[in-house]
Amino acid sequence: MKAMRSLLKARELPVFLALVLVVGLTGVANPTFLSATGARDILLGVAIVAILAIGQTFVIVMRHIDLSVGSLVGFASFLIGDLYSQGYGLWGGLAAALGVGVLVGGVNGFLVAYLKLPSLVVTLGALYVVRGIFNDYAFGRTITAAMVPPEVAWIGLNRIGGIPVLFLMGLVLVVVSGFIMRRVRSARDLYAIGSNPAAAELAGIPVARRVFTAFVINGAIAGLAGAVMLGRFNAANANSGLAIELVVIAACVVGGVTIAGGSGSVWGAFLGAILLQGITRAIGALGIPQFWQQAFNGGLIILAIAFDKYLSTRVKTTTIMGSDDG
Amino acid sequence: MGPIKSTVTVPVLTMEHVAKSFGGVTALVDASLSLYAGEIHALLGENGAGKSTLLKTLAGVHKADSGEISLEGKPFIQGGTRESIEQGVAVIYQEPSLFPDLTLAENVFIGRHLLKAGLVDWSEMEERSVALFERLGVTLDPQSKARGISIADQQIVEIAKALSTDARVIVMDEPTAALSSKEVERLFTVVRNLREQGSAVVFVSHRLDEVFVLCDRMTVMRDGSTVGVSMISETSEPEVVKMMVGREVSELFPKLEPQIGDVVLQVKSLSLAGQFADISFDVRAGEIFALAGLVGSGRSEIIRALFGIDLYDSGTVTLAGKLLPAGKPAVSMERGIALVPEDRRQQGLFMATSIARNVAVTMLKKLTSGFRVKRLDEESTARTWAETLQLKFASLSDPVERLSGGNQQKVVLGKWLATEPTVLIVDEPTRGIDVGTKAEVHRLLSQKAQQGMAVIMVSSELPEVLGMADRVFVMREGRHQGTLERVDATPERIITLATGGTVSV
Amino acid sequence: MMARFSFSWDKGVGLFLIIAVVLGSLLSDNFANASNLSFVLRDVTEFAIIALAMTFLIISGEIDLSVASTLNLSSASLGFLYRAGAPFEVAIVGGLLVGLACGLFNGWLVTKLGLPSLAVTIATLALYRGLSYALLGNQPVNQLPEFWISIGYGRIPGTFLPWSTILLVLLAALAWFILHNTRYGRWTFAIGVNQEAARFSGIPVERTKLMLFAMTGLMSGVAGVVYTLRFASSSPDGAVGYELSVIAAVLFGGVSIAGGIGTMWGVLAAVLSLGVIRSALQLAGFTANSLLIVSGGLLLISVVAPKITEGLRSRAFVRSKVNTNKTIREVGNE
Repeated sequence: MKAMRSLLKARELPVFLALVLVVGLTGVANPTFLSATGARDILLGVAIVAILAIGQTFVIVMRHIDLSVGSLVGFASFLIGDLYSQGYGLWGGLAAALGVGVLVGGVNGFLVAYLKLPSLVVTLGALYVVRGIFNDYAFGRTITAAMVPPEVAWIGLNRIGGIPVLFLMGLVLVVVSGFIMRRVRSARDLYAIGSNPAAAELAGIPVARRVFTAFVINGAIAGLAGAVMLGRFNAANANSGLAIELVVIAACVVGGVTIAGGSGSVWGAFLGAILLQGITRAIGALGIPQFWQQAFNGGLIILAIAFDKYLSTRVKTTTIMGSDDG
Repeated sequence: MGPIKSTVTVPVLTMEHVAKSFGGVTALVDASLSLYAGEIHALLGENGAGKSTLLKTLAGVHKADSGEISLEGKPFIQGGTRESIEQGVAVIYQEPSLFPDLTLAENVFIGRHLLKAGLVDWSEMEERSVALFERLGVTLDPQSKARGISIADQQIVEIAKALSTDARVIVMDEPTAALSSKEVERLFTVVRNLREQGSAVVFVSHRLDEVFVLCDRMTVMRDGSTVGVSMISETSEPEVVKMMVGREVSELFPKLEPQIGDVVLQVKSLSLAGQFADISFDVRAGEIFALAGLVGSGRSEIIRALFGIDLYDSGTVTLAGKLLPAGKPAVSMERGIALVPEDRRQQGLFMATSIARNVAVTMLKKLTSGFRVKRLDEESTARTWAETLQLKFASLSDPVERLSGGNQQKVVLGKWLATEPTVLIVDEPTRGIDVGTKAEVHRLLSQKAQQGMAVIMVSSELPEVLGMADRVFVMREGRHQGTLERVDATPERIITLATGGTVSV
Repeated sequence: MMARFSFSWDKGVGLFLIIAVVLGSLLSDNFANASNLSFVLRDVTEFAIIALAMTFLIISGEIDLSVASTLNLSSASLGFLYRAGAPFEVAIVGGLLVGLACGLFNGWLVTKLGLPSLAVTIATLALYRGLSYALLGNQPVNQLPEFWISIGYGRIPGTFLPWSTILLVLLAALAWFILHNTRYGRWTFAIGVNQEAARFSGIPVERTKLMLFAMTGLMSGVAGVVYTLRFASSSPDGAVGYELSVIAAVLFGGVSIAGGIGTMWGVLAAVLSLGVIRSALQLAGFTANSLLIVSGGLLLISVVAPKITEGLRSRAFVRSKVNTNKTIREVGNE
C-alpha cells in the first residue's frame, strides 16, 4: 500500500486533482452535476474507454501503440449480439469476440515483436483491415435490443450499491491489473522494455515474448470489452467503436502514461478516462453548447500532455547537477 | 596494485581459439582469453581488433562460430544474454544501460526481481541494494529513479547489479572514459575490492597509464586474434603499443612550430547558471588553446555555448572584431567557427547516411546555386577531404556507420574543415580512437594551426594537452583557475589547478 | 546509399501503379475512360496535396494526425466567412490562413513546448474538429458561387483533367524540387536521421520543423478549399478519417515512419495507386470496405517489404566488401 501511495504521489496525483477540480467547480455552478444521477452518468459513460485504456497501458508502457482497438471492440460487440441471436448463446458470442481479439492481437504482436515492425504502422493497418472485414460482415445489419443476451443487458442496466455494474467491471480490472503491474515480475519487464529497449535485451529480458503477450492481452481485453459496449448501448452496427481508439490513447496520455514509454500506470489511465468523461459531462452541465465539447476535449488533452512534460523535465533538471568533483 | 590473491592454477574462464564472422566480415580469427579468480585483467587492442566482439560473445549477444569456452571448469553455454548472466557473467558496457524510469533498486534487480510468495518484494530489494551500495562505498537512494544520476553513479549501480548476480566474471568496457579523477579513484578502489573477494575482472581501456596502475595481467588483441599475454609488471607501455599496432609508433604528438598571429576570438565574462561563471579568454590565429580540467568542470558546456548550441546568461563572444549572437549555430558557422563535438555518434554524424552527405552537410549553402544543391559538387567536396584526411573507406556512398571509430572521427573533422573556419573547436578529438589514427589527428591539428587556424581543444587526456597546446586554460567546477603557457605546463601544475590549488610560475 | 534503396522502392510503387491501372481496365470496361479517370484524379487530389507536406514531416521524424480536422476547419471557416457576408475570394484566403494557423499551432506545441507530435496532434485533431462544429453548428453552408463550384468540379476544356489537377501538379513539382534538390530538403532528411547531429551541424532544427508543420497545415487548408469546391458544401463533419489514408499513402510510398528515408515520386505513385484501386474495386462491384482492407494490407506490405530488402541488401554489401578489399585505401604511414 505504501508503494501504491508513492506511485500516486508521482504521476497520477495531478490527474486526480484535476478530476476533483473539474467535478468540484462544475458542481458549484450546477449542483445537479454532483447528484447521484450526475455521478452515475459519468461512471456509465466511462466504462468502455476505461477498460480499453487499461489494456492500452500495457502497450504504451512498452513504447508501442495499438490503434486497432476501436475496430476490435466494435466488431466484438456486434459479434456477441449476432451469434446470440443465431442461437449460439452468450458463450458462443463471447468466445467469438475473445477469439477475434486474441487473433488480431496475436498478429499485431507477432509483426511488432518478432518482425520488429513499427507498431504505429502495423496497428494502423490492422485498424483498416478489421474495420473492413467488420463492415462486410455486418453489412446493413444492426444488432437491436432484442438480440442482446440478457446477461449482457443486465450488466448494462444494473447497479450494485448504487454504482453501475459496467463501471465496477472496470474497477475490478484496474485493481487486478494494477496489482499485477506492480507485483508480478514479468509485468515489470514491460516498463523496462519501454524505458530502455536496448538495455532490456542486454539484461536478459525476453523482450519479444513480452511484447507479443502484451498485444495479445490487449486484444483479448478489447474483445471482451465488446460485451461492455453492447451492454452500454444495447445495440451495435458497422459504425460501433469508430474512432474510439483516439479517445483511449488520450485517456492514457492524460493519465500520465507517457507516449515515450517506461512510466505511468493503469490507475493513471483509469483516472484519465474518468477525467475526460467528467469534462464532457461538465461541459454539458455548465450549459456550454455541445458543439464546443470536442474542442474542449482537445484543448484539455493538450494541457495534460504539456503538464506531463513539465513534470518530467523538472525531474531531469533537479538531478542533472548531481555529479561533482573536486 | 596488488598481487593475484588466488593460488589456484585453474583459470575461472578460458576462451580458446574463438572465431566469429558476420556474413563475409571476419571479426574474430583466433582469439583467446583466460582469467583467474582474484585478478584484474586488461584487454587491450585498437578499435576493430575484436575486443568488443569477444566480450559480446561472452555476454551472450553473439554465438561463436568455433572455439571453446569454459567457465569454472564447465563448458560455457552460449544461449543468450540471460544464460550468460545466469552462468555468472556480468558486463558493464561503455554506455551504461540503466532504465531511467525505474528506481535504482529495480535497476539492480532487473529481470531477477526478488520474490516473496511469488510476488515482487520491493522492501527486500531496496534493503539489499542499499547494502550493496554501501559495500561499494556509496550512498544512493534506492527509491530514486535512475534518470539524471551521474555516469559514475550509474556505473556503481551496474556494479551492484553484477554483485547481486554473484558474477564470477565482471567485464568493464572503457569505464573511466567519462569519469573525473576522483571518481576514477573510487572506481579503482571498488575494482580492487572485487579482486580481493575473488572475482575475475576484465578491464578494457585505451588509457594505458590507468591500465598500468590498476591491472595485474593483460591480453593484447590485434586484427581478430590474441597476439600477446603477459603480466603487467613484465612489460612497458611502448611494448604494449607496439603489440597493439604491429609497428613502431614514434611521434604521437607531432607538434609543429607555431606561428601565432592576432587575436581572432574574444570571450568576455561568459556565464551560464549552474555550468560556468565569468569565463574570459582570447584565442589567437595559429595557436592551439587547450581547455583542461576534470570531467564535469564545464569545458564542453562553454564551447557549446560559444558555438551556439546552448544559450548563455551573460557575457560576450567576439569573432574577428564582430560580436557573435548567442544561440545561433548557423551564424557561428557562417562567421567561421566550427565545432567537432564530444560524442561523434550522437552529435557529429548521421550514421545511416552516406559519407559524402555527411561531409557536405555543413557546406550546403555554398554548394547551392539558384536554390539547387549540386550533387556532383557534394561528392567532389567529400572526395577532396577524404583524400586529404587519408580516409579508409570503400565508397563515398556507403553509410558512415560502416567505418571504424577513427575514420568516423575523420569524417567529422572533414565536414568541419571543409567550412574553412577561422576557429576550430575540438572536444575530446581522440576519444575512443586507435593509436595510429590518434597520431594522424594530432598531426592534422598541428598543420592547420601552423596554417593560421585557431584551434580550441577540450581534452581530458593530459599527455594530449601537454603535447599539443600552446596555452592551457584550466577549469574547475565552472570557474577559471589559471592559464599556463606551454613552457610552464606540467602535469603537476595542471592537476593542482584542476583540483583547486594554486601554482606559482 | 539509403536514397538508392528508396529509389528502388518507389520504382516498385510506380510499377505497382501501372499494374493497378492495367488490372483496373481488365476488371471493368468503365475504368479506362475519360470520365472515370477524371473522377479518380479528383478523388485523390486532396489526399495528394496533404501527402506532399506530410512526406516532409514524416521524413523529419514527426507526424500530424490533425490534418483531416485542419482540412475540415479550413472548409468550415470558408463557409462561415462566406455565410457572414464576405466575398468568396476573401473567404478562400481566410480558409487558407486558418489552415496555416492550425499548422503553426501544432508546430509551436512541438518545437517550443517540446511535446511529442503523436500525442499532441491527436489532441488538436479533436480541437480543430470541435472548432468546426463551434463555427458552423449543425448547419452546413451549401450555397456557393457557381463559378467556383465549376472550377472545383469541372474539367479543363478539351481534356479529362479536372482543374484541380493543375494545382496538384504545380504543388507536387515544387514539393519534389524542394525535397530532393534544395538544402531545405537535405535539412529535413538530416533532422529525421539524427536531430541532435543536425543541430550540431548548424541546421536550424526548431525553425525547420515549425515550417514543416506550418506547411502541412497550409496544405491541409488548400485541400480544404478544394474539398469544399468539389462537394459544393462546407460542413463540420467532412473528411473524417482522412488522416489515416494520407499516412497510409505516405508510408506505402516508401517513407519510413522512423524518419530519414523517402522520396516524393514514391508518395505520388502511392496516392495515385490507392485512388486507382479504389476506383477499380468500386467499378468491379466490391464494397467500399474492400478498399479499407486493401489500404491496410498495402500499409503492412509497405513496412514488411523494406525489412526483407534491407536484409538482402546488407548481405549483398557484406559480400561485396570482401571483394573490394583491393579498393580500400591504405592508411599512410609516416
